[in-house]
Amino acid sequence: MSITIQIPAALRPQADGQASLQLEGGTVREALGELKSRYPELGGRLFKSDNEVNRFINFYLNDEDIRFLDSLETKLKSGDELAIVPAIAGG
Amino acid sequence: MTTLTADHSTDRYHRQMLLPFVGEAGQAKLLKSTALVVGCGALGTVIVNMLARAGVGRLVVVDRDFVELSNLQRQVLFDEDDVNGLVPKAEAARAKIARINSQVQVIPLIQDLNHTNIEQVALEGDYGPVDIIIDGVDNFETRFIVNDTAVKHGIPYIYGGAVGTVGMCYAVLPHTPAGDKPWEIAGRATPCLRCIFEQAPPPGMNPTCDTAGVLGPVVSIVSNYESIEAMKVLLGRYESVNPNLVSVDCWENQLRQLKVGRAYDVGECTCCKKRNFEWLDGVYSSSTTTLCGRDAVQLTLAPGESKLNLVQIADRLKAHGQVKLNPFMLQATVSDNAEAFELTLFKDGRAIVKGTKQPTRARAVYAKFIGS
Ligand SMILES: [Zn+2]
Repeated sequence: MSITIQIPAALRPQADGQASLQLEGGTVREALGELKSRYPELGGRLFKSDNEVNRFINFYLNDEDIRFLDSLETKLKSGDELAIVPAIAGG
Repeated sequence: MTTLTADHSTDRYHRQMLLPFVGEAGQAKLLKSTALVVGCGALGTVIVNMLARAGVGRLVVVDRDFVELSNLQRQVLFDEDDVNGLVPKAEAARAKIARINSQVQVIPLIQDLNHTNIEQVALEGDYGPVDIIIDGVDNFETRFIVNDTAVKHGIPYIYGGAVGTVGMCYAVLPHTPAGDKPWEIAGRATPCLRCIFEQAPPPGMNPTCDTAGVLGPVVSIVSNYESIEAMKVLLGRYESVNPNLVSVDCWENQLRQLKVGRAYDVGECTCCKKRNFEWLDGVYSSSTTTLCGRDAVQLTLAPGESKLNLVQIADRLKAHGQVKLNPFMLQATVSDNAEAFELTLFKDGRAIVKGTKQPTRARAVYAKFIGS
Protein backbone atom coordinates (compact mmCIF):
# COMPACT_ATOMS: atom_id res chain seq x y z
CA MET A 1 0.00 0.00 0.00
CA SER A 2 1.40 3.38 -0.92
CA ILE A 3 0.76 5.92 1.80
CA THR A 4 1.89 9.44 2.65
CA ILE A 5 3.76 10.12 5.88
CA GLN A 6 3.74 13.67 7.20
CA ILE A 7 6.99 14.55 8.94
CA PRO A 8 6.74 17.22 11.67
CA ALA A 9 8.94 20.30 11.34
CA ALA A 10 11.07 19.22 14.31
CA LEU A 11 12.09 15.98 12.60
CA ARG A 12 12.56 17.18 9.03
CA PRO A 13 16.32 17.62 9.44
CA GLN A 14 16.47 13.85 10.00
CA ALA A 15 14.47 13.22 6.80
CA ASP A 16 16.49 15.22 4.28
CA GLY A 17 14.27 18.22 4.97
CA GLN A 18 11.12 16.62 3.55
CA ALA A 19 7.72 17.61 4.96
CA SER A 20 6.09 14.47 3.61
CA LEU A 21 7.08 11.34 1.75
CA GLN A 22 5.48 8.32 0.12
CA LEU A 23 6.22 4.81 1.21
CA GLU A 24 4.85 1.30 1.29
CA GLY A 25 3.44 -0.66 4.19
CA GLY A 26 0.51 -2.89 5.09
CA THR A 27 0.34 -1.68 8.68
CA VAL A 28 1.47 1.39 10.60
CA ARG A 29 4.28 -0.69 12.09
CA GLU A 30 5.51 -1.70 8.63
CA ALA A 31 5.33 1.84 7.34
CA LEU A 32 7.26 3.21 10.30
CA GLY A 33 9.76 0.35 9.96
CA GLU A 34 10.30 1.36 6.36
CA LEU A 35 10.74 4.98 7.43
CA LYS A 36 13.25 3.90 10.07
CA SER A 37 15.29 1.90 7.60
CA ARG A 38 15.45 4.86 5.22
CA TYR A 39 16.21 7.38 7.96
CA PRO A 40 17.72 5.59 10.98
CA GLU A 41 18.27 8.81 12.94
CA LEU A 42 14.62 9.76 12.51
CA GLY A 43 13.62 6.25 13.54
CA GLY A 44 15.69 6.66 16.67
CA ARG A 45 13.66 9.70 17.63
CA LEU A 46 10.34 7.90 17.15
CA PHE A 47 11.04 4.54 18.74
CA LYS A 48 11.84 3.93 22.38
CA SER A 49 12.70 0.29 21.65
CA ASP A 50 12.25 -2.00 18.68
CA ASN A 51 8.61 -2.47 19.57
CA GLU A 52 7.57 0.71 21.27
CA VAL A 53 7.21 4.30 20.13
CA ASN A 54 7.92 7.25 22.42
CA ARG A 55 4.89 8.36 24.38
CA PHE A 56 5.33 12.07 23.72
CA ILE A 57 4.84 11.47 19.98
CA ASN A 58 1.45 10.60 18.53
CA PHE A 59 0.52 9.09 15.20
CA TYR A 60 -2.68 10.04 13.43
CA LEU A 61 -4.00 8.00 10.52
CA ASN A 62 -6.28 10.24 8.47
CA ASP A 63 -6.51 12.45 11.58
CA GLU A 64 -7.51 9.58 13.91
CA ASP A 65 -5.18 8.65 16.78
CA ILE A 66 -3.82 5.15 16.04
CA ARG A 67 -3.94 4.29 19.77
CA PHE A 68 -7.72 4.19 19.40
CA LEU A 69 -7.58 2.19 16.19
CA ASP A 70 -5.25 -0.84 16.32
CA SER A 71 -2.14 1.04 17.42
CA LEU A 72 0.93 -0.03 15.44
CA GLU A 73 -1.01 -2.94 13.95
CA THR A 74 -3.57 -0.63 12.30
CA LYS A 75 -4.02 -1.68 8.67
CA LEU A 76 -3.26 0.79 5.91
CA LYS A 77 -4.93 1.27 2.56
CA SER A 78 -3.63 3.03 -0.48
CA GLY A 79 -3.80 6.81 -0.21
CA ASP A 80 -3.82 6.86 3.60
CA GLU A 81 -2.11 9.72 5.33
CA LEU A 82 -0.12 9.07 8.49
CA ALA A 83 0.90 12.16 10.46
CA ILE A 84 3.65 12.10 13.07
CA VAL A 85 2.67 14.62 15.76
CA PRO A 86 5.03 15.40 18.63
CA ALA A 87 3.93 17.48 21.61
CA ILE A 88 4.81 21.13 21.11
CA ALA A 89 6.43 22.67 24.15
CA GLY A 90 7.24 26.23 23.11
CA GLY A 91 5.27 29.28 24.00
CA MET B 1 -16.98 44.71 40.63
CA THR B 2 -17.49 46.03 37.13
CA THR B 3 -21.02 45.94 35.81
CA LEU B 4 -22.64 46.67 32.51
CA THR B 5 -24.30 49.78 33.89
CA ALA B 6 -21.04 51.72 33.56
CA ASP B 7 -21.61 54.37 30.90
CA HIS B 8 -19.43 53.30 28.05
CA SER B 9 -19.44 49.53 28.58
CA THR B 10 -21.75 48.89 25.70
CA ASP B 11 -19.80 51.21 23.40
CA ARG B 12 -16.51 49.55 24.10
CA TYR B 13 -17.83 46.04 23.54
CA HIS B 14 -20.46 46.90 20.94
CA ARG B 15 -18.91 45.02 18.03
CA GLN B 16 -18.66 41.73 19.86
CA MET B 17 -22.05 42.18 21.55
CA LEU B 18 -23.62 42.26 18.10
CA LEU B 19 -22.85 38.57 17.87
CA PRO B 20 -25.92 36.63 18.98
CA PHE B 21 -23.94 34.32 21.28
CA VAL B 22 -22.42 37.27 23.11
CA GLY B 23 -25.09 39.93 23.46
CA GLU B 24 -25.64 41.78 26.71
CA ALA B 25 -25.90 38.64 28.81
CA GLY B 26 -22.70 37.18 27.39
CA GLN B 27 -20.82 40.41 27.92
CA ALA B 28 -21.95 40.50 31.53
CA LYS B 29 -20.60 36.95 31.92
CA LEU B 30 -17.22 37.94 30.53
CA LEU B 31 -17.02 40.94 32.85
CA LYS B 32 -17.72 38.70 35.83
CA SER B 33 -15.12 36.09 34.82
CA THR B 34 -11.67 35.43 36.23
CA ALA B 35 -9.05 33.83 33.98
CA LEU B 36 -5.64 32.57 35.03
CA VAL B 37 -3.05 33.06 32.30
CA VAL B 38 0.03 31.01 33.04
CA GLY B 39 3.08 32.49 31.36
CA CYS B 40 3.16 35.94 29.81
CA GLY B 41 5.49 35.50 26.87
CA ALA B 42 4.64 35.07 23.21
CA LEU B 43 1.35 33.23 23.73
CA GLY B 44 0.45 34.87 27.02
CA THR B 45 0.75 38.48 25.86
CA VAL B 46 -1.63 37.89 22.96
CA ILE B 47 -4.11 36.10 25.19
CA VAL B 48 -4.01 38.81 27.87
CA ASN B 49 -4.33 41.50 25.22
CA MET B 50 -7.34 39.88 23.53
CA LEU B 51 -9.19 38.88 26.69
CA ALA B 52 -8.63 42.24 28.38
CA ARG B 53 -9.96 44.06 25.34
CA ALA B 54 -12.92 41.67 25.24
CA GLY B 55 -13.75 42.61 28.81
CA VAL B 56 -12.81 39.51 30.78
CA GLY B 57 -13.09 41.11 34.20
CA ARG B 58 -10.07 39.74 36.01
CA LEU B 59 -6.90 38.31 34.51
CA VAL B 60 -4.47 36.70 36.91
CA VAL B 61 -1.15 36.73 35.05
CA VAL B 62 1.71 34.61 36.34
CA ASP B 63 5.20 34.90 34.92
CA ARG B 64 8.64 34.36 36.44
CA ASP B 65 10.65 36.32 33.90
CA PHE B 66 11.44 39.89 32.90
CA VAL B 67 11.27 41.57 29.50
CA GLU B 68 14.29 41.19 27.21
CA LEU B 69 15.02 42.74 23.83
CA SER B 70 14.60 39.44 21.96
CA ASN B 71 11.01 39.25 23.25
CA LEU B 72 9.76 42.31 21.34
CA GLN B 73 9.60 40.52 17.98
CA ARG B 74 6.47 38.63 19.12
CA GLN B 75 5.43 39.52 22.69
CA VAL B 76 2.88 42.12 21.83
CA LEU B 77 2.33 43.86 25.17
CA PHE B 78 5.95 44.91 25.72
CA ASP B 79 8.12 47.77 24.49
CA GLU B 80 11.67 49.09 24.72
CA ASP B 81 10.98 50.92 27.99
CA ASP B 82 10.15 47.55 29.57
CA VAL B 83 13.47 46.14 28.31
CA ASN B 84 15.49 49.09 29.60
CA GLY B 85 13.68 49.02 32.93
CA LEU B 86 14.12 45.24 33.41
CA VAL B 87 10.38 45.15 34.06
CA PRO B 88 8.92 41.76 35.01
CA LYS B 89 6.57 40.54 32.29
CA ALA B 90 3.51 40.21 34.52
CA GLU B 91 3.94 43.77 35.78
CA ALA B 92 4.59 45.12 32.28
CA ALA B 93 1.36 43.43 31.15
CA ARG B 94 -0.58 44.98 34.03
CA ALA B 95 0.72 48.47 33.23
CA LYS B 96 -0.05 48.14 29.51
CA ILE B 97 -3.56 46.73 30.02
CA ALA B 98 -4.35 49.50 32.51
CA ARG B 99 -4.02 51.93 29.58
CA ILE B 100 -6.02 49.75 27.21
CA ASN B 101 -9.02 48.83 29.34
CA SER B 102 -9.38 50.36 32.78
CA GLN B 103 -12.59 48.37 33.32
CA VAL B 104 -10.70 45.12 33.74
CA GLN B 105 -8.19 44.17 36.37
CA VAL B 106 -4.87 42.46 35.76
CA ILE B 107 -3.40 40.80 38.84
CA PRO B 108 0.32 40.29 38.20
CA LEU B 109 2.07 37.46 40.01
CA ILE B 110 5.83 37.59 39.55
CA GLN B 111 6.69 34.06 40.53
CA ASP B 112 7.40 30.57 39.39
CA LEU B 113 4.19 28.55 39.22
CA ASN B 114 4.85 25.06 40.47
CA HIS B 115 3.26 22.13 42.26
CA THR B 116 3.66 23.79 45.67
CA ASN B 117 1.73 26.97 44.86
CA ILE B 118 -0.57 26.43 41.89
CA GLU B 119 -3.63 25.36 43.87
CA GLN B 120 -3.30 28.44 46.06
CA VAL B 121 -3.10 30.65 42.95
CA ALA B 122 -5.98 28.92 41.14
CA LEU B 123 -8.35 28.55 44.09
CA GLU B 124 -7.44 30.70 47.06
CA GLY B 125 -6.44 34.13 45.72
CA ASP B 126 -8.24 37.31 46.87
CA TYR B 127 -9.85 37.21 43.43
CA GLY B 128 -11.56 33.90 44.24
CA PRO B 129 -11.35 30.62 42.34
CA VAL B 130 -10.53 31.12 38.67
CA ASP B 131 -13.04 30.14 35.97
CA ILE B 132 -10.46 28.98 33.44
CA ILE B 133 -6.72 28.41 33.07
CA ILE B 134 -5.07 29.44 29.81
CA ASP B 135 -1.66 28.23 28.74
CA GLY B 136 1.12 30.64 27.79
CA VAL B 137 3.73 28.23 29.07
CA ASP B 138 7.02 27.23 27.44
CA ASN B 139 7.56 23.80 29.01
CA PHE B 140 5.69 20.56 29.63
CA GLU B 141 6.47 20.26 33.33
CA THR B 142 4.36 23.33 34.07
CA ARG B 143 1.68 22.21 31.60
CA PHE B 144 1.23 18.86 33.31
CA ILE B 145 1.03 20.60 36.70
CA VAL B 146 -1.64 22.90 35.25
CA ASN B 147 -3.45 19.93 33.68
CA ASP B 148 -3.46 18.06 37.01
CA THR B 149 -4.87 21.11 38.77
CA ALA B 150 -7.53 21.60 36.12
CA VAL B 151 -8.67 17.98 36.29
CA LYS B 152 -8.49 17.70 40.09
CA HIS B 153 -10.62 20.79 40.64
CA GLY B 154 -12.78 20.69 37.50
CA ILE B 155 -11.46 23.88 35.89
CA PRO B 156 -11.42 24.22 32.08
CA TYR B 157 -7.88 24.45 30.70
CA ILE B 158 -6.80 25.64 27.26
CA TYR B 159 -3.48 24.20 26.05
CA GLY B 160 -1.41 25.98 23.41
CA GLY B 161 2.12 25.51 22.18
CA ALA B 162 4.11 27.02 19.32
CA VAL B 163 7.62 26.81 17.93
CA GLY B 164 9.17 27.59 14.57
CA THR B 165 6.25 27.76 12.16
CA VAL B 166 4.07 25.16 13.91
CA GLY B 167 1.71 25.09 16.81
CA MET B 168 -1.23 23.41 18.49
CA CYS B 169 -4.23 24.26 20.61
CA TYR B 170 -6.59 22.09 22.63
CA ALA B 171 -9.39 22.71 25.12
CA VAL B 172 -9.61 20.47 28.18
CA LEU B 173 -13.12 20.42 29.65
CA PRO B 174 -12.34 17.99 32.42
CA HIS B 175 -14.31 14.95 33.50
CA THR B 176 -15.13 15.07 37.22
CA PRO B 177 -16.25 12.29 39.61
CA ALA B 178 -19.62 13.95 40.18
CA GLY B 179 -20.14 14.64 36.49
CA ASP B 180 -22.06 17.79 37.34
CA LYS B 181 -20.01 20.52 35.66
CA PRO B 182 -22.01 22.42 33.03
CA TRP B 183 -19.85 21.09 30.17
CA GLU B 184 -20.42 17.54 31.42
CA ILE B 185 -24.16 18.11 31.60
CA ALA B 186 -23.93 19.43 28.03
CA GLY B 187 -22.13 16.19 27.07
CA ARG B 188 -19.01 18.11 26.12
CA ALA B 189 -16.29 16.95 28.53
CA THR B 190 -13.01 16.23 26.73
CA PRO B 191 -9.92 14.11 27.39
CA CYS B 192 -7.17 15.85 29.37
CA LEU B 193 -3.74 16.79 28.07
CA ARG B 194 -2.19 13.62 29.49
CA CYS B 195 -4.79 11.51 27.69
CA ILE B 196 -3.23 12.91 24.54
CA PHE B 197 0.44 13.19 25.48
CA GLU B 198 1.18 10.70 28.24
CA GLN B 199 4.67 11.97 28.85
CA ALA B 200 6.59 15.21 28.64
CA PRO B 201 9.17 15.26 25.88
CA PRO B 202 12.60 14.95 27.53
CA PRO B 203 14.61 18.19 27.65
CA GLY B 204 16.58 18.63 24.47
CA MET B 205 14.31 16.27 22.52
CA ASN B 206 12.03 19.03 21.36
CA PRO B 207 13.02 22.28 19.76
CA THR B 208 12.27 25.38 21.81
CA CYS B 209 11.64 28.92 20.63
CA ASP B 210 15.06 29.86 21.96
CA THR B 211 16.92 27.25 19.94
CA ALA B 212 14.77 26.72 16.86
CA GLY B 213 13.28 30.20 16.57
CA VAL B 214 9.66 31.17 16.10
CA LEU B 215 7.67 33.51 13.90
CA GLY B 216 5.42 36.11 15.51
CA PRO B 217 2.34 35.34 13.39
CA VAL B 218 2.56 31.66 14.35
CA VAL B 219 2.35 32.34 18.10
CA SER B 220 -0.36 34.85 17.31
CA ILE B 221 -2.41 32.25 15.42
CA VAL B 222 -2.08 29.68 18.19
CA SER B 223 -2.78 32.09 21.04
CA ASN B 224 -5.77 33.51 19.25
CA TYR B 225 -7.11 29.98 18.87
CA GLU B 226 -6.64 29.67 22.62
CA SER B 227 -8.38 33.01 23.20
CA ILE B 228 -11.47 32.11 21.18
CA GLU B 229 -11.79 28.73 22.91
CA ALA B 230 -11.47 30.56 26.24
CA MET B 231 -14.23 32.98 25.25
CA LYS B 232 -16.54 30.09 24.28
CA VAL B 233 -15.93 28.49 27.68
CA LEU B 234 -16.47 31.72 29.61
CA LEU B 235 -19.66 32.38 27.63
CA GLY B 236 -20.86 28.88 28.54
CA ARG B 237 -21.04 27.88 24.87
CA TYR B 238 -19.61 24.41 25.41
CA GLU B 239 -21.32 23.03 22.31
CA SER B 240 -19.06 25.27 20.22
CA VAL B 241 -15.78 24.38 21.93
CA ASN B 242 -13.52 22.53 19.49
CA PRO B 243 -13.22 18.91 20.63
CA ASN B 244 -10.19 18.32 18.37
CA LEU B 245 -6.49 18.91 18.83
CA VAL B 246 -5.79 21.68 16.34
CA SER B 247 -2.37 21.41 14.74
CA VAL B 248 -1.06 24.03 12.32
CA ASP B 249 2.01 24.25 10.17
CA CYS B 250 1.93 27.76 8.82
CA TRP B 251 4.83 27.20 6.44
CA GLU B 252 3.53 23.97 4.89
CA ASN B 253 -0.01 25.42 4.78
CA GLN B 254 -1.47 22.65 6.88
CA LEU B 255 -4.29 22.87 9.37
CA ARG B 256 -5.29 19.60 11.01
CA GLN B 257 -8.23 18.79 13.24
CA LEU B 258 -6.90 15.72 15.04
CA LYS B 259 -9.60 13.52 16.55
CA VAL B 260 -8.78 12.80 20.15
CA GLY B 261 -12.28 12.43 21.59
CA ARG B 262 -12.04 8.70 22.34
CA ALA B 263 -8.89 9.07 24.41
CA TYR B 264 -10.84 9.30 27.66
CA ASP B 265 -13.18 6.36 27.05
CA VAL B 266 -10.65 4.02 25.52
CA GLY B 267 -7.53 5.17 27.34
CA GLU B 268 -6.30 4.56 30.88
CA CYS B 269 -5.21 8.10 31.73
CA THR B 270 -3.30 8.35 35.00
CA CYS B 271 -4.61 11.84 35.53
CA CYS B 272 -8.25 12.17 34.52
CA LYS B 273 -9.30 8.52 34.66
CA LYS B 274 -7.34 7.17 37.61
CA ARG B 275 -7.24 10.60 39.27
CA ASN B 276 -3.64 10.15 40.27
CA PHE B 277 -2.12 13.63 40.15
CA GLU B 278 1.56 12.78 39.90
CA TRP B 279 2.74 16.16 38.67
CA LEU B 280 0.76 18.10 41.25
CA ASP B 281 2.00 15.73 43.95
CA GLY B 282 5.55 16.67 43.02
CA VAL B 283 6.59 13.18 41.93
CA TYR B 284 8.59 14.70 39.08
CA SER B 285 9.44 18.07 40.61
CA SER B 286 12.83 19.67 40.52
CA SER B 287 14.23 22.74 42.28
CA THR B 288 16.48 23.53 39.35
CA THR B 289 15.24 24.04 35.83
CA THR B 290 17.55 24.35 32.87
CA LEU B 291 16.01 27.08 30.75
CA CYS B 292 16.22 25.41 27.42
CA GLY B 293 18.31 27.14 24.79
CA ARG B 294 19.01 30.09 27.04
CA ASP B 295 22.25 28.84 28.53
CA ALA B 296 20.69 29.51 31.90
CA VAL B 297 19.48 27.66 34.98
CA GLN B 298 16.68 28.70 37.29
CA LEU B 299 17.10 27.94 40.97
CA THR B 300 14.05 27.79 43.20
CA LEU B 301 14.50 27.86 46.93
CA ALA B 302 12.38 25.75 49.22
CA PRO B 303 9.06 27.40 50.07
CA GLY B 304 9.08 29.26 53.36
CA GLU B 305 12.57 30.65 53.04
CA SER B 306 12.66 34.32 53.77
CA LYS B 307 12.41 36.91 51.03
CA LEU B 308 15.67 38.40 49.81
CA ASN B 309 16.74 41.90 50.68
CA LEU B 310 17.72 42.97 47.19
CA VAL B 311 19.13 46.36 48.24
CA GLN B 312 21.58 44.77 50.64
CA ILE B 313 22.66 42.19 48.13
CA ALA B 314 23.08 44.86 45.45
CA ASP B 315 25.44 46.77 47.74
CA ARG B 316 27.48 43.68 48.28
CA LEU B 317 27.64 42.70 44.61
CA LYS B 318 28.75 46.14 43.41
CA ALA B 319 32.30 45.16 44.25
CA HIS B 320 32.12 42.26 41.79
CA GLY B 321 30.63 43.87 38.72
CA GLN B 322 27.80 45.84 37.22
CA VAL B 323 24.53 45.74 39.18
CA LYS B 324 21.05 46.84 38.10
CA LEU B 325 18.23 47.07 40.61
CA ASN B 326 14.49 47.77 40.45
CA PRO B 327 11.69 47.08 42.96
CA PHE B 328 11.16 43.58 41.64
CA MET B 329 14.60 42.23 40.90
CA LEU B 330 18.31 42.62 40.77
CA GLN B 331 20.66 41.75 37.96
CA ALA B 332 24.41 41.50 38.36
CA THR B 333 27.32 40.45 36.23
CA VAL B 334 29.78 38.40 38.23
CA SER B 335 32.77 36.31 37.34
CA ASP B 336 33.89 33.07 38.87
CA ASN B 337 36.99 31.15 37.80
CA ALA B 338 37.37 33.52 34.86
CA GLU B 339 33.86 32.68 33.61
CA ALA B 340 31.25 35.42 33.39
CA PHE B 341 27.74 34.87 34.70
CA GLU B 342 24.66 37.03 34.71
CA LEU B 343 22.84 36.56 37.96
CA THR B 344 19.19 37.63 38.20
CA LEU B 345 17.55 37.54 41.61
CA PHE B 346 13.86 37.89 42.30
CA LYS B 347 12.37 39.00 45.61
CA ASP B 348 10.78 35.58 46.12
CA GLY B 349 14.26 34.04 46.32
CA ARG B 350 14.31 32.67 42.82
CA ALA B 351 17.46 33.11 40.76
CA ILE B 352 18.33 32.74 37.11
CA VAL B 353 22.00 32.06 36.49
CA LYS B 354 22.92 32.78 32.89
CA GLY B 355 26.18 31.45 31.47
CA THR B 356 25.80 27.78 32.25
CA LYS B 357 23.48 24.86 31.59
CA GLN B 358 24.81 22.89 34.56
CA PRO B 359 22.59 22.98 37.67
CA THR B 360 25.57 22.22 39.92
CA ARG B 361 27.60 25.07 38.42
CA ALA B 362 24.64 27.42 38.81
CA ARG B 363 24.21 26.38 42.43
CA ALA B 364 27.90 26.99 43.05
CA VAL B 365 27.76 30.49 41.57
CA TYR B 366 24.65 31.25 43.61
CA ALA B 367 26.24 29.93 46.78
CA LYS B 368 29.38 31.97 46.24
CA PHE B 369 27.73 35.32 45.58
CA ILE B 370 24.38 35.11 47.37
CA GLY B 371 24.81 32.36 49.93
CA SER B 372 23.50 28.83 50.09
ZN1 LIG C 1 -6.64 12.31 30.96
